[in-house]
Amino acid sequence: MRNASSTRKKILAAAALAAAFLGGAAGRLSGTCGPFLDVAPDAFCPFVLEVFTLAITTGTTATTYDPTSPVTRLQMAAFLSRSVDAVLTRSSRAAALNQFWTTQNESVLGLTTATPGPISVRSDGLDLWVSDVVVGTVRRIRGSDGRLLETWTGATYGSGVLAVMGQVLVLGNGVPGNLYRIDPSQPAGAVTTVATNVGIYPLSLDFDGERIWTANQGSISIVTPGPAAPWTVTTVSVGFMRPYGPVYDGSSVWISDNLRGALLRVDTAGSILQTVTIGATSRYPVFDGTNIWVPSSDSVVVVRASSGAVLQTLTGNGLSSPLSAAFDGRRVLVTNPLANSVSLWKAADMTPLGSFPTGTSSEPYIACSDGANFFITMPEAEKLARF
Amino acid sequence: MLARRSLTALAAVGAGAASLLFGTCGPFTDVTADSFCPFVLEIFTLGITTGTSATTYDPTSSVSRLQMATFLSRSVDGVLKRGSRRSVLGQPWTARPESGLGLVTVGLGPNYLQSDGQDVWVSNFSSSTISRVRVSDGKLLETWTGAYGGQGVLVAMWRVFAAGYTNPGSLFRIDPSQPAGAVTTVASTLGGLPFGVAFDGARIWTANSTGSVSIVTPTASIPWTVTTVTTGFNAPWGILFDGSRIWVADHNAGTLLKLDSTGAILQTVTVGEFTTFPVFDGTNIWAPVPVFPLGVAVVRASTGTVLQTLTGNGLNGPSVAAFDGQRVLVTNFDGDSVSLWKAADLSPIGSFSTGAGTRPLGACSDGRGFWVALDFSNQIGQF
Repeated sequence: MRNASSTRKKILAAAALAAAFLGGAAGRLSGTCGPFLDVAPDAFCPFVLEVFTLAITTGTTATTYDPTSPVTRLQMAAFLSRSVDAVLTRSSRAAALNQFWTTQNESVLGLTTATPGPISVRSDGLDLWVSDVVVGTVRRIRGSDGRLLETWTGATYGSGVLAVMGQVLVLGNGVPGNLYRIDPSQPAGAVTTVATNVGIYPLSLDFDGERIWTANQGSISIVTPGPAAPWTVTTVSVGFMRPYGPVYDGSSVWISDNLRGALLRVDTAGSILQTVTIGATSRYPVFDGTNIWVPSSDSVVVVRASSGAVLQTLTGNGLSSPLSAAFDGRRVLVTNPLANSVSLWKAADMTPLGSFPTGTSSEPYIACSDGANFFITMPEAEKLARF
Repeated sequence: MLARRSLTALAAVGAGAASLLFGTCGPFTDVTADSFCPFVLEIFTLGITTGTSATTYDPTSSVSRLQMATFLSRSVDGVLKRGSRRSVLGQPWTARPESGLGLVTVGLGPNYLQSDGQDVWVSNFSSSTISRVRVSDGKLLETWTGAYGGQGVLVAMWRVFAAGYTNPGSLFRIDPSQPAGAVTTVASTLGGLPFGVAFDGARIWTANSTGSVSIVTPTASIPWTVTTVTTGFNAPWGILFDGSRIWVADHNAGTLLKLDSTGAILQTVTVGEFTTFPVFDGTNIWAPVPVFPLGVAVVRASTGTVLQTLTGNGLNGPSVAAFDGQRVLVTNFDGDSVSLWKAADLSPIGSFSTGAGTRPLGACSDGRGFWVALDFSNQIGQF
């Protein structure tokens, strides 16, 4: 595979490289510790080299690090922010798979057909589970290649999907609401109905480690899983108008109420403990480990989960009646069904990464992530997209 | 001596009533058990600090920049180690001799490969096929045909692509959701003899060894639009996207070239003679240099500065670099081995044999470990 090289070429190359190569016997930069002249090559040097290699520090000049000066709080912020970014970038699945790009437009979206009415999607880590509001099927689609693996039936008026407890749960958006269960270890067939008395028109659901929370029209339901159907359902309506999305932050359940234009923190009985005003409407939120991102009218409101404080109301970045948010470990994606686009932010500092067209009449609806990619349902286009 | 050591151990065990270390905050007697204590305990537990002594942390002193570097370096290492899939799956080891490699027989002359996270896709130059191997158990799942001169592999857009080493060059596409069959040729007018292939989020780029770069725009119908740029290129081999720019490794010129969106050269970085197939680790580009100066050049992507040229560590005909989130692996085509480094501080981990006469060429990560294409033994190995 290697070309034979002429002596002349080697000499030319040697000349060109001389400057770079003269620095150190083993090709090192010219300092005593990497590029730095003022850091001794002692036990501390490897640590300085690491923060230099990762671009956490640039040094005080190209050849000095100023090791003895104290760190100000401002420098500390820069060091910590760069450290967090370096770790998040390197630990993402995308980095190991050489995927440093962001999907730019509809021509390069990965698409798989999901006729006729794909509505909600969640990943179990490997496979995607897609509900269908029109025919009540639940598709199992492999995340890595988009292959349709299984089609389950009987999930009438399918809406929200959740992969928990080694099972897949799907809501039936009817009167009353239903909760269906799939055992993914079994051959595909009909879903099992585990509850027929969820509040009416349930849209989405989340799990707190013990019970399932659903967002219904005018209520929330709390479902306790049991060994046999039916599962116990408690429905709470006090204070709720049109809940869209429950989201569990690791200690509390929050409910995004569309008509109240609020994010509501509830106790274990479903009573409202705290009301965070979002705006005219609030839709399907996501928790990023620290903050809750709530799509609202042409904006996304970022709420600190630990306190309920509104950190920022994000506008612009292509937002147009945003519907649902998803988090991949580094970035938050928000769907804009009316604008046929998605908007993207870096989650750690809320900087906009741009908005990207998903195609005419694609109407991107619900999004999720498997840790490497985002997946988006497109009910009008009858597709599932990988972003 | 023995008695004294035992007594010390007993004293340490006896000190904390609830089996806590003695002190008011973990082992530290100079930190109060207030709301800051959990943070001090965390960085002690993670080994980010060792304290100023076994029982003191010196909480009120300010931090020097040297100490800060130590804290941050250990923090980054701790998080990367704990966050890796290898740690979670209880696989902290590095395969040592060839007996430790999981080997899978694929087609003839496997050269380059790429993982989609679940499977590895391997182009087999001599049999004009592309093999699909499952990561979890190494089962050969599928063989796709018609990939004439298959070279670099790309997974993007829920599809698999491979460059075809013909003149003019070709770009092949596989729809992995469909049953295996013949590949689809989406472009057959690339520059001559392409090796590497990369994606920038909108277009596919190929590095053509006859002296050009081709930019392929996906369209609804086939063939896809191809633009080929020759200005300033001698013999592009490797190519990568760093999140904002495309970089090309020019084999004959011994350079890394940063390109703009039209393929014009923005920056030229001299790395060394006959550089081959580089990888980006999120911050730096690792460019193998097989001839002079024999080594691996580590280049800061944001500036083009050569941070260091790594030498030794068993390098012998370094060919292809890969990154798994923590480590960089470089295949030694001439040495029948691979060399590994810790990516965060460029420290060598060692070199490991792939078996005599195996000729390791391509390499990739599946997010957990590495896969290496053994060109002469018609196998790929899980490392």
